Amino acid sequence: MEHGAAELAQALIAAWTLVAVAFFALGILVYVAIRGRARAVDLERAVNDFRSLDIAAFRNLVDPAEEAFLRDNLSPRTFRAIKRQRMWAALIYAWEAGRAATALAKVGQAAQRSLEPEVAASGVQVTENAFRLRWQTVRVGLHLLTEVLLPDLSSRSLPSLADQYERAAETLFRLGRFPSGVRKLVRSKSA
Amino acid sequence: MLPMNWHRALLLFLWITPHVLLVVVAAAVCKRRLYREFPCFFAYVLCRIAVFILLFTLYTVYGVTGRQYAYAFSATLLLIIALGFGVIDEVSRDLFRKSPFLKVAAKRLLRCVAGLLLVMGVLLAVHAPGSNSVRWHAGISVINRGAAMVQCGLLLALLLLARFLGLTWRRITFGITLGLGTLASVDVAASALRAEFTSAAAMELLNLLTTGIYLVCVSIWTGYLFAPELEPAASPTIGSPDEMETWNTELQNLLKH
Repeated sequence: MEHGAAELAQALIAAWTLVAVAFFALGILVYVAIRGRARAVDLERAVNDFRSLDIAAFRNLVDPAEEAFLRDNLSPRTFRAIKRQRMWAALIYAWEAGRAATALAKVGQAAQRSLEPEVAASGVQVTENAFRLRWQTVRVGLHLLTEVLLPDLSSRSLPSLADQYERAAETLFRLGRFPSGVRKLVRSKSA
Repeated sequence: MLPMNWHRALLLFLWITPHVLLVVVAAAVCKRRLYREFPCFFAYVLCRIAVFILLFTLYTVYGVTGRQYAYAFSATLLLIIALGFGVIDEVSRDLFRKSPFLKVAAKRLLRCVAGLLLVMGVLLAVHAPGSNSVRWHAGISVINRGAAMVQCGLLLALLLLARFLGLTWRRITFGITLGLGTLASVDVAASALRAEFTSAAAMELLNLLTTGIYLVCVSIWTGYLFAPELEPAASPTIGSPDEMETWNTELQNLLKH
């Protein structure tokens, strides 16, 4: 009798869990449909976000020599706490770079719909590169998250990411010198 | 007797109307020659219409037993499930069509998601809610629920991935995804509830709910099919070719490492 009641309760929990999952999925669908209708891409904000990334600080955060120095001079417990904070800060850098790449992808796709063939062709390439950059930030983000969770693992060097940030900063510096276009809000209508 | 007739009339209305709309969808797909880009979706729509004609005929013809109807329903359901997966593949291909990089990377990710969902679907089938009857229609119901869950998960993964990457959807592709996703998520909920609440009143209510949602989904397809595609953006709002080239060059430099 008790066994039967437990089985029934288990089945009911499974059924209602599925219902909850289905409604959650439906909620996401409705949210995406409503939110995705018309979105403004604020290019200036994306540029400013990118610029706010301090490449020297980031390079320091992921520098293996710096990590080795801290490991040698701090107690293991303090080292773990400090490393977690450092990797978390680096993760936020990667996240912000990813967000800027997404904004750039939207700009590129809007450009692809341009009536000017040159702009449209450039848009294709910008979009493709922005997707690659976004993907790269995800991989780096996962790597950094692993180090946040397991600070005792000796970290591999992340020089390529640091270089990427440096180049991004240079890009934005140059873009800042363009008088037109960049400071405009780029409106991109999605589905 | 009156409420009973109203219920029957409502059920018939909800059963027939979506398929009339599907004929409109099929005609629009033909007219816009979208069957070249979405052959599976076109086949899916045609299949839905054909299945309706078959089942409606069986329902109205005198002498057809409930068992015969159930056999026909189950066989056609499996066909619709298979075509549904084809439509999802088509939607993902269309979404990533402009990016050679995403064609490879995102496809690989979606394959992983599909594998994970498949494992979850199998686990769900093993620990399925409801009676553990070995009858064939119980098995079909479990397959339907598992497939709906996998389809729903895949479509959600597509939507979230597109949002994450900043991908812009074509209206038709988004409409197909939204409609199919809604249908799949309601299928998951309805099939779970059907397994638990087996009373006649609960079944009638669930039938009304699922057919009503089906009408909503077909309306979504119709609406998005007739909605105009995005107009080309005016170049001044995007920036000059020089600016785009600068972005492009610098991003390429970023990725060289």
